[in-house]
Amino acid sequence: MAIKERGRIRKKRMSYHLNITSMMDMFTIILVFLLKMYSAEGSVLTNADNLILPNSISKKKPKEVNLQLAVTTDMILVDNQPVVPTDDARRIPQEDPDPSIIKLEEKLRSFYAQEEEMVKMGALNQVMGKVIIQVDKNIEFDVLFKIMNTCGKVGYNNMNFAVMERES
Amino acid sequence: MSRESKKKKWDDQEMDFKTFMSLMVVLIPLLLLSAEFAKIAIIDIKLPEGRGSQTMQKVKKPPKQDDENKLLLTTIITDSVLTLGAKNGFLPSLFYQEFHRYIAKDDQHDFTVKYDPSAAELPRHPKTGRLMEIYERYDIFLYSCDETYTDIHKCLYTKFGEMITDANSIARTNVGVGDTVYALTNPRRMIIVTDPAEEFELKPLSVYDELKNRLMKVKERFKDADDADNIIIAAENQVMYDKIIQIMDAARSADFPNISIAKLRG
Repeated sequence: MAIKERGRIRKKRMSYHLNITSMMDMFTIILVFLLKMYSAEGSVLTNADNLILPNSISKKKPKEVNLQLAVTTDMILVDNQPVVPTDDARRIPQEDPDPSIIKLEEKLRSFYAQEEEMVKMGALNQVMGKVIIQVDKNIEFDVLFKIMNTCGKVGYNNMNFAVMERES
Repeated sequence: MSRESKKKKWDDQEMDFKTFMSLMVVLIPLLLLSAEFAKIAIIDIKLPEGRGSQTMQKVKKPPKQDDENKLLLTTIITDSVLTLGAKNGFLPSLFYQEFHRYIAKDDQHDFTVKYDPSAAELPRHPKTGRLMEIYERYDIFLYSCDETYTDIHKCLYTKFGEMITDANSIARTNVGVGDTVYALTNPRRMIIVTDPAEEFELKPLSVYDELKNRLMKVKERFKDADDADNIIIAAENQVMYDKIIQIMDAARSADFPNISIAKLRG
């Protein structure tokens, strides 16, 4: 009797064995997928708070890391650093034929100079003059125009508007 | 006997996955948390080099002599009218009424209200009476209406949200079995109606769809123009950025990839 029982216990212990190989396979696939997704687009654009991008049918993906300009309802940010309140842009008279937001222009000029410096050193082939503009969808056109004008003045002629891809 | 001993050997050689497992268990939630599921795309706007800030004003200058074969297609948007114009004239304006869709942050209540430009504050939550925040505004719809702003035009839409037009690109409000209609895709998709009630739905006509419809017509007719890919979007100061993006979308889907932006002087 006792021998029988012992035998059964031993058998049980042998058969209770968690097989995690299939789970490992699954985990590996998920891990690879997530890592790939992360590296593909995670770092190119960062989203500022309180900034809602408009929806668009555009499928074009931001590729390289560029200068980022974010315009929220109360602040204008360059590379995630607040530069000037948006109200400053609103205050510029609308009749001004060549409006420019002075603080923003200074900041952009310093970035442009950095880019030129890198060209001199040979790190870049040419000055790209590329900027990604993230604008809140509730911003009025007047502000947008002044910002675009400022960018164009400094030499950032290649502007990209960031949008949300429509889910459909 | 020999079989049993072999099996035992096999058992001994099994890898210990436990440490790797715990690593996975940490890594996967971490990556899932940091992953962004909303996809961000970009729209390219290129200003001609060297002209910088002058570009946007130069566009507005009257055509010169060498511009003869140019179309100079322009979309003009103000806060109540959308107009399509070219060198030789303007198409009839599209009058629109603006509707805003809000989704409340707290109870996910989804409602659409007519926008009143003269109102000082944003609308209130229909149930709790709370003042809505601007961040809760989810969509802006522009519905085409007549010039007195009373009647909103209607049009049939497919299940995929495509506007239905007839062979002359005029919006259809009713169809019969056996009619040939066109869905507003690029190029237009022909549909022979078999079951009108099942296939189509009567909805307010969005001005963006009507704009796309007109733009496609223009593109078809003036594809030989020197600037057949170009379009200028001219906007008034108060026009919201979202509308400009929607117009850009309409323009790009109608095959006008080169978009410039101009300002309307009030």
